[in-house]
Amino acid sequence: MSNDNKFLYKLDKSAVLTAIGAFLLFFCAVVATLIAPQLVESSWVNPTSPYQQQMYEVADAHLYVSNQGTDDAKDLQLVYHLKQGFTLHAFTENELVRIVAPPDLERYITRFGESNLKLTSDLLLLRRPEKSDTFDAVASAENLKRGLQQSSGSGLKLDYQIYELYRPPGNEVFSVARTDGVIEDWVDEEYTILDPEVRQSWHADPGVVYVSNPVEYRVRNFMFGTDEAWEADSDGVPIASLEELQGPKYGFLSRKELVELGEDVYREEGCVYCHTDQTRTLIQDVVLNGSDSEPAPPSTASEYVYNRVSFPGTRRIGPDLSRVGVKRPSRDWHKAHFWSPKTESPGSIMPRFQHFFDDDPRGTSRSPVGVPNYRFEAIYQYLMTKGTRITAPTRAWWLGKDPVDTKAVIEGRVVPDGV
Amino acid sequence: MKQYNDLPSKLMLYPAILFMVIGMLVGVYIAFNAFVIPDYFSGEYMHFGRVRPMHVHHVALLWLLSANIGLLYFVVPRLCGVPLWSSKMAYFSAGFWWAGLVPGVYAFPFGYTSGWEYAELAMWVGIWSPKLLFTVGWVLFVVNIFATIFSRKYQQMYVSLWYTMGTMIWTTFTVLLGFYGLDFLPGGISRVNAGFFYVHNLVGLVFTPMGVATSYYFIPKVSRLPLYSHRLSMVGFWSIAFVYPWVGAHHIIHGPVPQWLQTISIIFSVWLIIPVWAVVTNFFATLKGHWNKYSESVSIRFLMMGNVFYLLTTLQGSMQALRNVNEITSKTDWIPGHAHMALLGTFTYFAIGGIYHVIQVITGKPLWSKSLASWHFTLTLIGSMLFFMSLFVGGYLQGLQWASWASGASYLEFQRALATLPYLDTVADVWVWWLIRGIGGVFLLFAALLFAINVFNTIVLKASDESNTPEPTAA
Repeated sequence: MSNDNKFLYKLDKSAVLTAIGAFLLFFCAVVATLIAPQLVESSWVNPTSPYQQQMYEVADAHLYVSNQGTDDAKDLQLVYHLKQGFTLHAFTENELVRIVAPPDLERYITRFGESNLKLTSDLLLLRRPEKSDTFDAVASAENLKRGLQQSSGSGLKLDYQIYELYRPPGNEVFSVARTDGVIEDWVDEEYTILDPEVRQSWHADPGVVYVSNPVEYRVRNFMFGTDEAWEADSDGVPIASLEELQGPKYGFLSRKELVELGEDVYREEGCVYCHTDQTRTLIQDVVLNGSDSEPAPPSTASEYVYNRVSFPGTRRIGPDLSRVGVKRPSRDWHKAHFWSPKTESPGSIMPRFQHFFDDDPRGTSRSPVGVPNYRFEAIYQYLMTKGTRITAPTRAWWLGKDPVDTKAVIEGRVVPDGV
Repeated sequence: MKQYNDLPSKLMLYPAILFMVIGMLVGVYIAFNAFVIPDYFSGEYMHFGRVRPMHVHHVALLWLLSANIGLLYFVVPRLCGVPLWSSKMAYFSAGFWWAGLVPGVYAFPFGYTSGWEYAELAMWVGIWSPKLLFTVGWVLFVVNIFATIFSRKYQQMYVSLWYTMGTMIWTTFTVLLGFYGLDFLPGGISRVNAGFFYVHNLVGLVFTPMGVATSYYFIPKVSRLPLYSHRLSMVGFWSIAFVYPWVGAHHIIHGPVPQWLQTISIIFSVWLIIPVWAVVTNFFATLKGHWNKYSESVSIRFLMMGNVFYLLTTLQGSMQALRNVNEITSKTDWIPGHAHMALLGTFTYFAIGGIYHVIQVITGKPLWSKSLASWHFTLTLIGSMLFFMSLFVGGYLQGLQWASWASGASYLEFQRALATLPYLDTVADVWVWWLIRGIGGVFLLFAALLFAINVFNTIVLKASDESNTPEPTAA
């Protein structure tokens, strides 16, 4: 007992002991609450799914976006950057779309009615049939069309669209992107990659993103008065290189750059002060963020691993954004909402973000809002990553395929893990 | 009567008082322009997202942290019985401090922000580094204070000196982590967790020990009564050193962090009652039997009311860490209510209480107007009550409304509840509470102006009340 007292009196008089003691106690907390979780929680460093990983690490870098092709940015240009031995391509037929090919390329085509999808990272494209020295695609297409129309017994004369599969020169090419620029084509069942070996590590994942039926992207340059202008035109000229694509004339930005820029915009504009980015493990959150029939799964740490700055937030003056890519997927809705939130959402107190738009200098824009600039596209693409990349589209929670089965949890039919 | 060089105190306190007024002005602006008449002044640099960090950094760093440093420059030499180790170092420290903070804070509306809450100061604004300059200013202060304490004359240390040493260490590590360390962690929740560790230590291991250290000096000093219990103060200090750093994750309860981490933060958040109770009891008991001093001295009034808010804030904080309470209060207006009751109600009151004493010592003159000081207190208290109560009530009601979406047994019933009460309706219902909060803020701003005028006149005018000719400040 007296020993304790002696130590306490010593402590009372010693600055050094006090400083050391305070530091040691602090350090214990650092170990337990900062360092230990890193070692124990794998979700803090691992992605949610191969889909999320491929989206951030592969697919984002090969989709390019530009709004400079039309006078009011109404027709956004979406272009894929395809690379030999990297991007995966599929050439599929359906009822009305058929493909003809020279004999050496036949094996790449997934014919109408085949269930197994054939993929390849060889660089191949589709085009309107042309006659070349080695292969007369025009005649081949004509024959195919006649054969199909004769054999269709219903008497309907269907208009078939026939493409030719060909190998372009060079190792990279730009193709027209026909996705919405947010969700990629994905396959995880019944597919084969026809490459002789695994060319990229992600090709060996349990599912892959791929590009479906790529057609070369071409532009037409013309003079608009004294200004140089351009627009997409399948009869035009291809874009020569990535430098030209990203240059000042065409102004394409990759989705990777846009998502990162979007995170910067989110940070600079202080969005976190009004919006949270977390669906909490509470019924009211999964209901608020869910669709009419499916609750949104609660946020997990893996959703944030690709963010440089994360904004789970401490205030919800405006609604939560962690599932906004599914709740508000429309680009037009976001244009109207950032231009004037009160008009798009009556009762909203959100300020206007009109610096995301350039005014149309001629004042004759067809757009009811200003012309969105790159800041708008950046914040839009960033917001669209929220809730859309948790699992692959084939296991999407908004289609009722939630792997965590949130609905069963909140209806009390199942007890979740970790509780 | 020993003579101390009080210029270091003045270099921190005088600008701090000015920034308090500016910070409250920015606060009133956002209270009205973001909430009561939303987006009336519209534009890239005018909106809440760009201006909020300006308000926060004015009141938290430019006012409160700076004022506490100024008060410590006053208190520490006197408790050690030796002059400040190096006055010159203090002048340099102040120079780096203001040179870093002021440009950094005024760059916020232009988008220069790190994005991490309460650590938004930018690394670079052009070629100027607000963060680095601020850090140098802080480190010089730490060195100076430790050197003063290590060369002290009185061997047994009064409690203020432990809290001071503690905060020297805690602030340094907290700032290093929050300002520089986040980028070295893996992206995602690792950084978020460290960010919340930083945020809570800012309140609990930076502002709290500084405010408590200075109050432990001023309450006995101004009332001329001995501190109730030295032993109790030891309990308070060592329990806060143990308990506080574990609570960071309570900012993300129900969020994407594991349950065990949340539970640790909740348990320690409840234990926080121990160190706070020790301090609150000690302060109240010191005044026991002499409550007339409350009405006689404005200093004591501010210090004691701060003590009341300190108790309320910690009881509230411990409760809102519990999972079921957190479900209702979290993310609503309750949260800024709690934050303001802590930084304004507790620590700003403590600092003002200290300043009313210090200003008279460092200028060598009595306070210019005791009645103006009383008005300052009363209007601040009215403004504070309007501010806190409106946010607690409004926030709680909004939380209850959100919880109504969880009533039912099937998803269909939950959705029906949501359809009956859409999100935007819950926003509209808070408006009246925001109006009351704004009015409270106007009271606070006006009262702060009275404070600034009182302090200014104390500094520049001659001692006698009847004299009209101002004299230069006695240094």
